[in-house]
Amino acid sequence: MKNRILTVFVTVATFCLFGCGGDSESKGVIAYTPQTLSNPFFSVIADNIREEARKNGYEVLVVDPDMDVKKQSDQIDDFIAKNVVAIVLVPVDRMSIGPAVKEANAAGIPVFTVDAKCAAEGAKIEGHVGTDNFQGGELAGQAMIQALGVEGGKVLVLDLKKANSCVLRVDGFKKVINAHNDGRASGRIEIVSELDGNGDRTKGYESTSAALQAHEDLAAIFAINDPSALGAYTAVKEANRQNQIKIIGFDGMPDGKQAIKNGQIYADPIQHPDKMGIQIVELVVKYQAGEEFPKETLLPATLYTKAEADQDPDLK
Amino acid sequence: MMKMDFRSVLSEYGNALVLLLLCLGISLVTIEEQSATSSSAARELAMEVSAENPPGSNVLVLVRTGEGASRFAKALSESLSAEGLQVVESIVGTPADARKALESQKDELAAIVTGEHMAVFASGQLPALASANDALARTKTYRTETYLWPNFLKKDNLFNVLKQVSVVAIIAIGMTLVIITAGIDLSVGSLIAFSGVVCALAIQYLGGSEPTTSHLWLGSLAGILICALIGMGTGGLVTVFRIPAFIVTLGVMFIAKGLAFILSNSEPIPVGNEGFAWLGRGSDLFGLPNSVSLMILLFVLAHVVMSRTSIGRYVYAVGGNPEAARLSGVPVKWVLVFVYALCGLLAGLGGVMEASLHVTGDPKSGTLVELQVIAAVVVGGTSLAGGRGKIFGTLVGALIIGVIRNGMNLTGVEAHMQSVVYGVVILIAVMVDQLKGRFK
Repeated sequence: MKNRILTVFVTVATFCLFGCGGDSESKGVIAYTPQTLSNPFFSVIADNIREEARKNGYEVLVVDPDMDVKKQSDQIDDFIAKNVVAIVLVPVDRMSIGPAVKEANAAGIPVFTVDAKCAAEGAKIEGHVGTDNFQGGELAGQAMIQALGVEGGKVLVLDLKKANSCVLRVDGFKKVINAHNDGRASGRIEIVSELDGNGDRTKGYESTSAALQAHEDLAAIFAINDPSALGAYTAVKEANRQNQIKIIGFDGMPDGKQAIKNGQIYADPIQHPDKMGIQIVELVVKYQAGEEFPKETLLPATLYTKAEADQDPDLK
Repeated sequence: MMKMDFRSVLSEYGNALVLLLLCLGISLVTIEEQSATSSSAARELAMEVSAENPPGSNVLVLVRTGEGASRFAKALSESLSAEGLQVVESIVGTPADARKALESQKDELAAIVTGEHMAVFASGQLPALASANDALARTKTYRTETYLWPNFLKKDNLFNVLKQVSVVAIIAIGMTLVIITAGIDLSVGSLIAFSGVVCALAIQYLGGSEPTTSHLWLGSLAGILICALIGMGTGGLVTVFRIPAFIVTLGVMFIAKGLAFILSNSEPIPVGNEGFAWLGRGSDLFGLPNSVSLMILLFVLAHVVMSRTSIGRYVYAVGGNPEAARLSGVPVKWVLVFVYALCGLLAGLGGVMEASLHVTGDPKSGTLVELQVIAAVVVGGTSLAGGRGKIFGTLVGALIIGVIRNGMNLTGVEAHMQSVVYGVVILIAVMVDQLKGRFK
């Protein structure tokens, strides 16, 4: 009995061996550890890294740290033991991942970051590709001006102060709104409240409910990502004020886009994870060729409104 | 007759067998070409180069930065010189360094002698570089021999497995004792976070932004002791108020987790001294990572205590039949308080180890680790009904978990599949263990 199990096991293992390995033409392995693959944003990046890397003759290894910095740090250690040619990282925590990055540095393996940066002192990052969050915030501001028209009105901002990227989004938003208000007597857009949306539906819902109580004449909401925007929509709908209040989100996740098509969210500045995946592989290829490349690439966000959503073949 | 023997062997060493099969399987699927970096490989390569090039030819040594890179580059240069070749330059660096060096070659270069990664660079970039620089027109690339060997069985990787599992394994010692007394401790995962945060805060309080080594020790001690005290409290509630351990430790789990977030303000707390990484990332004894040395020491100690001392016998007795133990003079309550305090202490130690790994006290750390710890103990053959269990069985249980995780990271198996495999292996290991009861 046991022998039979063993035979089956070895056979399966051997198949795997010839299935996965044996590609001697490969230039090596690019390893990717995002924050979590449950978030479609990071899996889109993964898919594009895979495709672009294959075009350039590299293999790709994708693992999932599931928002756990210990797991991510262990994964980096395992990449080092495997002697990969490059590590592409979305730090789960921008400080705590530092020591693991330093070990990769010491092993001579170049580390690149996508989307989020690593801020640990002494950890060397060869290149970064991200979204220009400030510019995205400006787009949100322009969309807000368009949404509110000549009348203007009171605005609630749902922020996430602990994420630097989200702080930049709010800064860009405010810059455009302030410029709009400058020297304007009527039709001003007034930010009456900035609350923590925690970037999730639950908190976005709670904060919005509270703001709806406090401000009878709230005209619009800017939420720094889609989950908190969708939470805000739930609260607005509950108060039966969805006709008076416009919501602007950020990211362009599938359910955010769907909400735009359904008219629940007015518009989203969207990020482009597909381009991020492609660009980061381009950086790795340039690094391996010894060519020069920019340390930091910020991809502009673009505005996604109902017009785009109606054309989107991915939506129902 | 033979059949019975086979089964008794299987039941006694079933978990070790599962571990062995796992290692075998993962070794098979991680076989890859490896590049030799020994000095004998360097000598062989030098001979190959000299056989194809006249003495005095210019050669360039190219090795990617990293551990052992300069040693290998030096070995190559020496062997090449010994063969009568002219080593014009020996470069240990990045591809950008290599490109710069090749672009600046003035005299005709006969060969580039290189290791694994730079060979890819050289073969990929040489044609373009040669068209811009005549000195490279006839340059050939030589690289070290490759051989097939599983990535899993590389020394660094095996150390990784042990290092990664050390926190779970060390806490599992305490959990084994708790489970032998027919109890359970769900709070250990939260205590990891709590201890790490307390430790980092204490270090910050004592030493500010530039703590000294003694501050690090004091902070670590604070984290460990406070968790031991919490464990003692848990034991007290279990014995004095006779509340089931499951419920007491569930409460402590929530309290400790919440306190960790409150104390740290939900932010990871950095430790301002890189020396703090010594426990989690250093390796002093025979090249073994320090966390692994500590783990082995604690397991040997625990084994001796459990098999040779009266404390060990008391723990088994309390788990087997508390009433009989009490009647025969075992201080049942003190034994229970002791095992929970020990479990708390080891969880505190685990927390300090995790904090050391990231040089940060993180309130998010330790999430769901209690389940891994309990899985390690159960897979190791300790009975949840109490009275039965072996310390080294627990080590095997922890290693099974670590090996699966490492294998998945090396092969890139999807995370949700990992979870399925964990579950299946836990069930198989426990089924194998059940054979013990049936065929003895």
